[in-house]
Formats: sequence, C-alpha cells, structure tokens
Amino acid sequence: MRLYDIVVLVTPDLADEDAAKVAGEYKKILVDGGATVVKEEPWGKRRLAFPIGRRREAHYVYWQVQSEPAAVAEAERRMGLSDQVLRHLAVRVDEELKRQAKMTERLRKKAIKRPPRPPALPTEAAPAALERAERAERSES
Amino acid sequence: MRMGGGSGRPGGRGAAGKDAKSGPRKKFFVRRRKVCKFCAEKLEYIDWKDIKLLQGFIPERGKILPRRISGTCALHQRKLQTAIKRARSIALLPYATD
Repeated sequence: MRLYDIVVLVTPDLADEDAAKVAGEYKKILVDGGATVVKEEPWGKRRLAFPIGRRREAHYVYWQVQSEPAAVAEAERRMGLSDQVLRHLAVRVDEELKRQAKMTERLRKKAIKRPPRPPALPTEAAPAALERAERAERSES
Repeated sequence: MRMGGGSGRPGGRGAAGKDAKSGPRKKFFVRRRKVCKFCAEKLEYIDWKDIKLLQGFIPERGKILPRRISGTCALHQRKLQTAIKRARSIALLPYATD
C-alpha cells in the first residue's frame, strides 16, 4: 500500500453536483481496487492558471488515498479517457512525507535534549511561590 | 570552518561595522547573505498543493525564480522545481504569462 495525492479537474460545464458525481466514479474505482480514502477535499470551482480547451475554470477534487499502485493506475487510465476530466494528477507521497516526519522528529528530540532553559523555570515558579507564602501569611493572621 | 573570504566577514556585524568603512573594501555596499528559505524553516517536503508558497518563487513572467536570486539551496531548488512543475500540470500555476 502506498499513499497518493490525487487531483482531478472536472469540466466547468457540469453543475457542482454532477461534477461531484463524476469525481465519485473515480473514487469508486479506487475504493473497489482496495484503496482507503485518507483525505477528501473538494476545492470547488477554481480559475485555471491558463485555459485548457477553451475553458478558464474547473472543478477541482482532491483525495489522499492509501492504495495499491494498480488501482491508481486504473483510475488514471479511465480519467484519461473521459471527456469530462480536463486534467488529472496522481503523485506518490508516502516516502517524502516519511522523510519529513523523520526530520521533524529529529528536530524535536534535539530540542528536548539541548536547552531545558534553566532560567525560565525559576522565574515562573518564583511568583507562584511568593503568592503561596503571602496567602499562608494572611491565613495565619 | 574558515572565515568567509571576499564579502561579508562572519561575526563582523555590530561594532566592527564602523571600522569596516575605513577598511580596504568600502566601495560596495555589503550584500545581505541569502539563506535558503526551506532550510531555515526546516521544510523537507515541498507540497505542490501549497500554491501560496510556490507563488513566491514565480515572478511575473511565470518562470521559476533562479537559485542565484532566491538563495534557495540546490537540494531544495530541485524539490521546488518538481513541485512547481506538478502544480503547473494541473493549472494551479501558469507555464508562462505576459
């Protein structure tokens, strides 16, 4: 199983619901192929940075999917055949994300190991201790 | 590491700034050292969906900002490059504008 980012651009000629339906078909292909959808974000109708086949907008649909490569390949093949899909992109992201996670983990560990910041604690504890002493004094009198 | 030769002596900012004027290299203004944005923020993965980030590396013309100007390190420039190209392929960013 691999993690993929998939984006589909559906024609703006369709209404929002119809576009969602078209995108849903491809989602179904993925899910039938054993994929699980991790994230699903319809980005809605967006302006294209350049016209594609005379169209200046498109419905963007984004999924992050945990899937076998075969299911993604099949979904991409069908997207390519469809007239309603202007563009599509599937990128494998698990390795890159893993590397990033490793990096942040390492940074976190380093931060823990190095500066426990000695001056920060006493100054914070001091007023609290003073207050407590004050309260104790008051209750005594 | 040795002291950086040529422009900008490391550690010579504050008090040494005034003395530098009378030094041998006074003709040109001191250039600020450029730092790779991604190294500074410890970003390993450059997301091609993050258009706001990528747009910062796309000048008006729509070309990819060269490393020599942005100061991005070689590794991150390569990653940035693929991210921008992916974003272009689904029309999130332009290939060219004028």
